[in-house]
Amino acid sequence: MTRDLKGGVSGTSTLVGIVTASDPAVRNQSLDAFCRSSSVPALLAECQSLELFRKQCDNLYQRVRALFFLYAIHRFHLPGKLSHFRGPLIPFDGYAHLLKRRFEEAIRTFLETQASGGPSEGLSSALATAYHDLGFQTLADQVRRSVRSVRGNQWMFRIGHPADHPLRIRRELLPDGRVGQTSAGQDRILREQTPVRMDLSHSGWSDIFFLGMDFPEGARVLNVSIDLCVLGRDPSPLPPVEAYLRVIDEPVLKLASVDLGASATVESLGEVFDFAKDYLGLLKAALIASGIVPPGIEGAGQSLEELLSRVVAPGYGLELVSNVHSIPKGSRLAVSTSLLASLIAVCMRATGQASSLSGPLNEEERRLVAARAILGEWLAGSGGGWQDSGGLWPGIKLIQGALAEEGDPEFGISRGRLLPNHTIFRHDRVPAEVRESLQKSLVLVHGGMAQNVGPILEMVTEKYLLRSEAEWAARLQAGGILDKILECLQAGDIQALGAATTQNFYGPIQAIIPWADNLYTQTLIGRARQEFGRDFWGFWMLGGMSGGGMGFIFAPGRKAEAQERLAKLMQEAKKKLSGALPFAMDPVVYDFGINETGTCAQLLEGEQALLPQGYYVMMMPSVMRVEQQSLGRQRRRELGRLGSACRTRPEMSGLVSALFDRLLPGAVAGGSDTQHLAAFLQEYGFDATHHEQIRADLRSGRIGLAQNRLPTNSIIEDPAAEDVLDATAPLERELFQHGVASLARGEVAVVTLAAGAGSRWTQGTGVVKALHPFCKLTGRHRTFLETHLAKSRRINSKYGAELPHVITTSYLTHRPIQEYLAYEGNYRYQAPLLLSPGRSVGLRLVPTARDLRFLWEEMPQQLLDEQAQKMRASLRTALVRWALSSGEGSDYTDNTPLQCLHPVGHWYEIPNLFKNGVLQKLFALRPRLKHLMIHNIDTVGADVDPALLGAHLANASCLTFEVITRRIEDRGGGLARVGGRLRMVEGLALPREEDEFRLSYYSSNTSWVDVDQLLLAFGLTRSDLADEARVADAIRTVSARMPTYVTLKDVKKRWGYGQEDVYPVTQFEKLWGDMTAMPELKCAFLLVPRFRGQQLKDQAQLDGWLRDGSAEFVESISEFDPD
Amino acid sequence: MKVRKAVITAAGKNQRSLPLQTLIDSDGIQKSALRIIVEEALSAGVEAICVVVSPGDEESYREAAGDLRNWLHFVEQPAPKGYANAIACAREFTAHEPFLHLVGDHLYWSAGPTRCARQLTETAAAESCTVSAVQATRESMLPYYGTVGGRRVAGKPRLYLIENVIEKPTPTEAEQRLLVPGLRSGHYLCFFGMHVLTPAVMNLLEDGSSLSSALAMLAGKERCLAAEIEGLRYDIGVKYGLLTAQLALALGGKDREGVLAHLVELLASRELSQAGVAGRGEEGQ
Repeated sequence: MTRDLKGGVSGTSTLVGIVTASDPAVRNQSLDAFCRSSSVPALLAECQSLELFRKQCDNLYQRVRALFFLYAIHRFHLPGKLSHFRGPLIPFDGYAHLLKRRFEEAIRTFLETQASGGPSEGLSSALATAYHDLGFQTLADQVRRSVRSVRGNQWMFRIGHPADHPLRIRRELLPDGRVGQTSAGQDRILREQTPVRMDLSHSGWSDIFFLGMDFPEGARVLNVSIDLCVLGRDPSPLPPVEAYLRVIDEPVLKLASVDLGASATVESLGEVFDFAKDYLGLLKAALIASGIVPPGIEGAGQSLEELLSRVVAPGYGLELVSNVHSIPKGSRLAVSTSLLASLIAVCMRATGQASSLSGPLNEEERRLVAARAILGEWLAGSGGGWQDSGGLWPGIKLIQGALAEEGDPEFGISRGRLLPNHTIFRHDRVPAEVRESLQKSLVLVHGGMAQNVGPILEMVTEKYLLRSEAEWAARLQAGGILDKILECLQAGDIQALGAATTQNFYGPIQAIIPWADNLYTQTLIGRARQEFGRDFWGFWMLGGMSGGGMGFIFAPGRKAEAQERLAKLMQEAKKKLSGALPFAMDPVVYDFGINETGTCAQLLEGEQALLPQGYYVMMMPSVMRVEQQSLGRQRRRELGRLGSACRTRPEMSGLVSALFDRLLPGAVAGGSDTQHLAAFLQEYGFDATHHEQIRADLRSGRIGLAQNRLPTNSIIEDPAAEDVLDATAPLERELFQHGVASLARGEVAVVTLAAGAGSRWTQGTGVVKALHPFCKLTGRHRTFLETHLAKSRRINSKYGAELPHVITTSYLTHRPIQEYLAYEGNYRYQAPLLLSPGRSVGLRLVPTARDLRFLWEEMPQQLLDEQAQKMRASLRTALVRWALSSGEGSDYTDNTPLQCLHPVGHWYEIPNLFKNGVLQKLFALRPRLKHLMIHNIDTVGADVDPALLGAHLANASCLTFEVITRRIEDRGGGLARVGGRLRMVEGLALPREEDEFRLSYYSSNTSWVDVDQLLLAFGLTRSDLADEARVADAIRTVSARMPTYVTLKDVKKRWGYGQEDVYPVTQFEKLWGDMTAMPELKCAFLLVPRFRGQQLKDQAQLDGWLRDGSAEFVESISEFDPD
Repeated sequence: MKVRKAVITAAGKNQRSLPLQTLIDSDGIQKSALRIIVEEALSAGVEAICVVVSPGDEESYREAAGDLRNWLHFVEQPAPKGYANAIACAREFTAHEPFLHLVGDHLYWSAGPTRCARQLTETAAAESCTVSAVQATRESMLPYYGTVGGRRVAGKPRLYLIENVIEKPTPTEAEQRLLVPGLRSGHYLCFFGMHVLTPAVMNLLEDGSSLSSALAMLAGKERCLAAEIEGLRYDIGVKYGLLTAQLALALGGKDREGVLAHLVELLASRELSQAGVAGRGEEGQ
């Protein structure tokens, strides 16, 4: 296929042909199939054609698809075909462009380097990142443009002055006295009640905006509006989301979120646009997206009072209140989008943008509210799918992507429209009895896991746009399943419906995103099947991934029993897996009912004009502090109504006791966390003197982020090629044989460093990473630990070895690992398996404003897109305020005890072996033990490879470190010659950011250690190990020579009902790689393939890891226990 | 289509006294607002004018019309049932004829020699259909006016075919339904307070409804046009409305020079006296 490109370039490019084809059979061809058989020059030539094409193409989706093709070639196809050894480094300039989101400049810089120096793995990784991010940026920009250009949204971007404001509050909401009506003093409150939505089909993520706009035919979901309650807690299902609005007699905006326990009085327009300042971002977004505070007025320096005087009345303002009936975060029922839509709806009704003040909305109004909700999500920096505001519509509906037509703002730009079409199923299509059967069979639960599904949505987008074979087939299959579900629903066959949703989960959903499933979900499904047999009709996944909101379908007669059992099963499974998976809350079982009205409003008047009880519990303490005569007339009238409601309305009867709990919190809460923390510190050997020293140093500025760095005049050089032994190609046979012989002699043991909490993996939640079932290998979920043991098992059986395996632990991981291994019978690992408990712990500190600013201002930061950047700036201001008000350098104790402690770095984990007797035990078990292979828990490709062992033996070093060639994501130092000495250097210690980009090799953190030489370096011999004091003294001496790094870690604080905040806190650490700086130690360095040296730090890496062959490699070097 | 009759509504709750206000017209003569409106109507060639008033107002209105009182017929709106009902009260007067309708609280200034009402009746006569006078108005003024959506009539630069009419729309509604190609962004065709209506409209004016909704219905039944008038309207019912109208009349008339001189003098003397106060203050220090 040929295509003439504009600008006169003409060439034959298969891939450009695929991108531009009008025939679906050609257009939907997969990239992978083409690339598999292509040579490096052929791929580079295709890249050149695609690059030219995407720069000149006007069609947005063709451009984006070309970008994703380029990304995929550089990420998955080229690196495997290139030699691993050396090649041009990633130019720092290009990296700096990437950070500033100057993608075009970054791509140009990388391509120039590639043109002059040839391709390399590092360059390809950099190009892949740039193409990937540019692709998403292009898509996001288009969605934003579409949101802005939807008719009915445009005017809001033009209003820059209150005098131009065209909205007026409806007269019915103004206090009567003001508009000269009769019954003076009448207060009114407008209440919007909105159901949430559940996706009956699971859409195969086809409701992602980008995808609906690319392939509207495939974007279909069956969406049901439901009322909800927590079983055993609430009396009956209600619309879970409520928004209240009233006119107040002060010229301010009062915002209150009952569910988050937050309230604020907003007096300036600037505050309305400050989303991350408090927990009221959603309410602010609603005020803006509804046009009350039009987005065009941001930064115009105008007065809020003037705006309110124009929109409401001079001297008056508005109060906006949100309330979620305690539905926890992560329910996968689109609670936050529903709440935003509800808030927007109430604001739009109040300003006449909906024809009726009360009752349901009409179709046109619902569509407008949905469009505004998308706008609001964009403003507040979040984003959902287009079905998420489905709760605005009543009952059961089919939501479908729509082709863009002439007159649509999307026409000529994307194939599909931003907003889909909704077809509401009337009772003649899905009769009432079928709806009832569904309610009688379905058990809805929240499993308690709260995960970030953001990376999953990106992965799906990427796979769909690439038309990856398996995923594309799965997507088409999911469409077929939706049809089947529709048929079942119309026929009233809920059992078949259950079978279809299960088929969907095990088929297309997991073919597209294997991570949608997890061990917890599998455990629950397995138990449900076991206990209910044929009466368990199916599993149904909700939203981005399982573990949070889920559905289990049972024979109707057994629903009640199933609800009860599932509650228990979830508790048990959570208890077992709580160390391994990120749970945010206790599991709950819901009761639900289909909501046949959609969003609906009522005007509360007279005695009914009250806000929800939670509002008064939150606000009354401050009201009670005000002198009675200082209370406004409106507030006094309201208190009068509240008083009588407490006596007469059952739902308000609990107010008094709730108020007392609020007023006197100490009596209820107690101080148990603080007591626990003290106990933990004592138990884990906290060194208070050292801690005080760290604090004093931190406060005085002797240590800190800036002080981690080596002096700026240090000479940092990239090692020469001969400084490392290239083990990416097969090593000499002799080395392999030496290794095999050493294994057979019992000279080697494995040490797995497993003290860490995998904070990056779970974004600060803190799970035991070793126990995290991170991926399915050979058909089952495997924990990191199981995978490492499987590799040692294979070495044992293949080379007749019996490798002792040591797992180092910390206060955070010891007990869970011990219990888990006991439960799993050590995964039936036959050779010795020892735990090495940690003996050091640190207490986290509130960071200094200086370090926060250094992190955010001095260190390179990824610039986010415009709106997200605003959110981040606002959040950072709030965090600096928090650090200053909590006291810089003071102990961080405002969290669960385990989140206040921190491991002190993996350096300590090795000398701990001397200290805690584990090394002695090893010597007793294996008197000929001479070498340790030490690796991180997340270096899943590392095994005791005899050839590498042979290389370590041959160089007779104390330490042999494994390195890999650097890719753009490999941040954190590497192998360097520092002042002439070849050593591993931490990223924290590099004087300048660009130094890292001059280093070819990155640390895999796997090292081979000659035990006797190491003991010698500590001034010890094997026989000294029994002498505790001597060992302690030796460790202290070497420890003092190791640099202490101050780091800021993100720690999650959980609160409310599944809510989480992330705080950066200060901790310190010493790192193992710094041992290579000790001049008396002989060190060597081995370059190993990426498959072996890659560390899995971030969940977002998993998909690429699975696709680029790494997972297959790990399977090939593992021998999992067949049971 | 010959327009022989005019209907002026002046029964609104808050506008009863507005037509009785006295102004100096552009010809330099002191007149009531009503008389100026009546002159506007007569200039359009009508032969009879009906004024719809609240019960008991006839006498004061008759007096305010001065020597033009003989042209006027008065009809009372028995109960305050809104604007549309007020027009409907003139049903007998209009008697199945097309008529010019003016509101009692707007005054007009024409940019050319032809007065605004005349421009409208001439258009109606040429097009033989209902024509509403409109003006491109910024969206911030939408809460005050009935607004028209439609498209341009080919070859007639200031004429639009009405497709939709909404009374005081929200900007959201306006953007969705009332966008008119060719207008500046954020501008809509809002009523000018002046219409030529065909008799069919009388059957569509219901109690409590608005002229806008009746026109929206009428546009569904017969051809209705909107005409951009070369002139300006002054709503004397808004804050400083009467003053603005007065200034506009004066600056567009024979006393223009004198009024301008007065204004300059007023400004200058105020500024000078303030500067003088400030200057003395400084001297004193």
